[in-house]
Amino acid sequence: MKELPASERAPFFGTYEKVTLGLLLLAFAVPFLTRNPQILSQSNLILIAATAALGVYIMLRMDLMSFAVPAFMAVGGYTVAMLGIRSGVTDVFALAAAAFLVSALCAVPLGWMILRLKGVYFVLVTFVLTEICQLLLFEAGPLTGGSNGLVGMPSVTVFGYEMYDNSHVLMITAGLAFVGFLIAAVLTRALRYEFAAIEKNDVLAESLGLACWKYKALAFSVAAGVSGLAGFALVNMLLTAHPTSFSPLSSVNYITYAIVGGKGSILGTLIGAAILVSATEFFALRGELSPGLYGLLIIVMTLVAPGGIMGLAENFFRRFGKRDSKALETKVAVQSGSGHS
Amino acid sequence: MSALSSNGGETLRIEQIAKSFGGLTVFQDISFEIKPGALLGVIGPNGAGKTTMINTISGRLHLSSGRAMLGNTRVDGQSVFDNAKRGLVRSFQQTANFSGYTVEDNLTSALRFSGQDRSSLSRLTPLLDRFGLIEHWNRNAEILPYGLQKMLGLTMALATKPRMLLLDEPAAGLEKSERTNVDIYVQYARDEIGCGVMLVEHDMDLIKRLCREVIVLDGGRLIAQGEPADVLNRKDVIDAYLGGADDEDEHAQHS
Amino acid sequence: MEGLIATGLIGISLGSQYALLALGFTLIFGILGVVNFAHGGFYVMGGYVAYFCAAIIGLPYPLAVLVAVASTAALGWLFEVFILERVINDHQATLMVTMGFYLVIATAILVIFGAESPQFDFPLQGVWRAGAIYIPYANMVVLGVCLAAIVGVYWLVYRTNVGRSMRAMAEDRPVASALGMRTKMLFPFAFSLATGLAGLTGALVTPILALAPHVGDPVLAFSFLTVILGGLGSVSGATLAAFLVGLIEAYAAVYFGGSKGALILFVLVLVILVLRPQGLLGKEARRA
Repeated sequence: MKELPASERAPFFGTYEKVTLGLLLLAFAVPFLTRNPQILSQSNLILIAATAALGVYIMLRMDLMSFAVPAFMAVGGYTVAMLGIRSGVTDVFALAAAAFLVSALCAVPLGWMILRLKGVYFVLVTFVLTEICQLLLFEAGPLTGGSNGLVGMPSVTVFGYEMYDNSHVLMITAGLAFVGFLIAAVLTRALRYEFAAIEKNDVLAESLGLACWKYKALAFSVAAGVSGLAGFALVNMLLTAHPTSFSPLSSVNYITYAIVGGKGSILGTLIGAAILVSATEFFALRGELSPGLYGLLIIVMTLVAPGGIMGLAENFFRRFGKRDSKALETKVAVQSGSGHS
Repeated sequence: MSALSSNGGETLRIEQIAKSFGGLTVFQDISFEIKPGALLGVIGPNGAGKTTMINTISGRLHLSSGRAMLGNTRVDGQSVFDNAKRGLVRSFQQTANFSGYTVEDNLTSALRFSGQDRSSLSRLTPLLDRFGLIEHWNRNAEILPYGLQKMLGLTMALATKPRMLLLDEPAAGLEKSERTNVDIYVQYARDEIGCGVMLVEHDMDLIKRLCREVIVLDGGRLIAQGEPADVLNRKDVIDAYLGGADDEDEHAQHS
Repeated sequence: MEGLIATGLIGISLGSQYALLALGFTLIFGILGVVNFAHGGFYVMGGYVAYFCAAIIGLPYPLAVLVAVASTAALGWLFEVFILERVINDHQATLMVTMGFYLVIATAILVIFGAESPQFDFPLQGVWRAGAIYIPYANMVVLGVCLAAIVGVYWLVYRTNVGRSMRAMAEDRPVASALGMRTKMLFPFAFSLATGLAGLTGALVTPILALAPHVGDPVLAFSFLTVILGGLGSVSGATLAAFLVGLIEAYAAVYFGGSKGALILFVLVLVILVLRPQGLLGKEARRA
């Protein structure tokens, strides 16, 4: 009688997660390597973009496209600004916790309302949500400073040490990005079976006993929390919380980073943000052309490389690398956490 | 008899259930009971509401009236996953697995979602071997032949240690040679796991081989109940399938 | 009282414009299953093409409008055939390509015409008055054309064979395809019809409201609103929702000021979505 083949213990973090977290740790080194304000600013923007795109990525793991990232960024950013300006809270750990938790908590009732909706409606409603958020920011003057925003945020402090210049700000952003990615990596790896099942066939998953709504809600809240961290980083960089930082159309950018990078893996989100934000800098030489070129890029990528840059890379290595054809049939799916490329 | 865990099965009691969509009545006044270890065949022409019935019992749709009980718990109107956790598990007509996942990961998912541990899977080893799934353990389910994918889906349902199994045309699309796998599967469910089985099928040979009791659904009504040999010879059952062929044709066939 | 009526007239006029946009959007959504992120792009393109023809080339305004409609419809046809069709079964991909296309259109307009708002006036100036009730002639004309277009679309959708095929496609695509309805012709037709309507609205409305490269941005949000409110698969629902949105916006703008009108609308939509997910007149449930 045959025995069941022994199951390979898949490591908790896959290759992609390790590479991503490694790259983010390297980001901490940048302020020590250079004082060039251009590079510092670029790195800052890339990290913020990547963390925001992470909010999109987490929902994409379950095949849900969320336009709500700017809304939760706003919650995190404004929370931090209010705590800083009005209550004098500057400790980075307290602020980060607040940015994450307040956003995540706001996501709970919203998630209850909209996660029940079918895929396409979910997309529309998250877009509407972000519109509402921006309108509220403009209209709720006394609370949010209206069209002036909240200005004059004090510098963040780490154990009492004030982080006031560009290098310091980058370090804060790197820290927030690292925490965001760590949380996302833990979530998507620990629950990779659940997420994958919801993405591939949620009807089947339910009939086997999986309470899909719980995991969707959890992912939605964590995505919101991570977006909150991105909002904190953004507000910290600008020292201002302003409605225009959280526009509905910026959600298009974050979605683009995640998808162009490759929605199958967490590394794709980082790569996508890095490449596209850098490219915007490059295209910004012809400033007004950049959205159009972005648009062309999106169209071309979607038609030619739906798995994003990571998908292209995976195909490339599969064809020219040392793996034999068995690789196509084995545990690639679980290792990279992707459902399909 | 094998070592039955204390799980065993629970009785499924269906009491006068009915389902309509708007003005369209899909089925009405259906009642039956399946005890642990028992097997009930459900046959009837297409469109008679059999799959909808499974959908309502499992919780995917709401009943319009009547109720479904598993043991002492009401299962209609409950969510699918709650019912699955209670042991009411269904299979799907089409191949139902997580495409892109290996055979192993598919089964692991089934274990995880139902809260079972790996021992549940080890007990299925003889089945997995017999169906040819161990041979393809690390293969992507998508590339497996249809029959294997079907058996994978069925085995996943079994891995959840069900107390009542609702099978929706398990033999559909299988080659003649593969159909005996369904026999083995059903026997395992009844004897080793101890759950009751509701078997919706079109394959009459299969039904006659396995079932001691069948019910016939036609036009949403339960028109016959009893042993296959008797039921399948009843005129109203034959008419249901042939759409009311007139007597001349029938006589011509018999003579 | 007269203020109420006057505002109501504005609201209805707004509603008719939104209805044209909503109809196009719902057609694409219902028949192709595509969320057309580029819808606003065709709207603003219609405005600029009409402006170009009327103000720069010097064509008579009605002709300029026709050219605008033809060009947006043609562009829509090309886009559907060469780009959209390739990814039509993938929800996320259609979203991405239409989104990308919007960026391309908006940027192209920006590059060609510049960021400044050009001088584009409705050829008919003046206001019609009856006591204290008034409505600008321009709005009346636009209202008339819009209503005519709405009636035209309804006739097409409900009284012709093409329309019947489109509705069948919206109800159940696999069955409709199996029955031999030619999606190859139907989809580009439906899409270009919708983009033509958007172009028509743009050509008519931008001289009254505003013409600038970014005026297509809010179109998307409002299109979403009407589809959510009106319900999927319901052309009449979208129309009703559009008029409702127009009225609410008009009254809110007059009596509350600021963007509170938009805010009220959006929140209302969210509430309705939770309480009545099938929308005002929709048939299909929106729950997962």
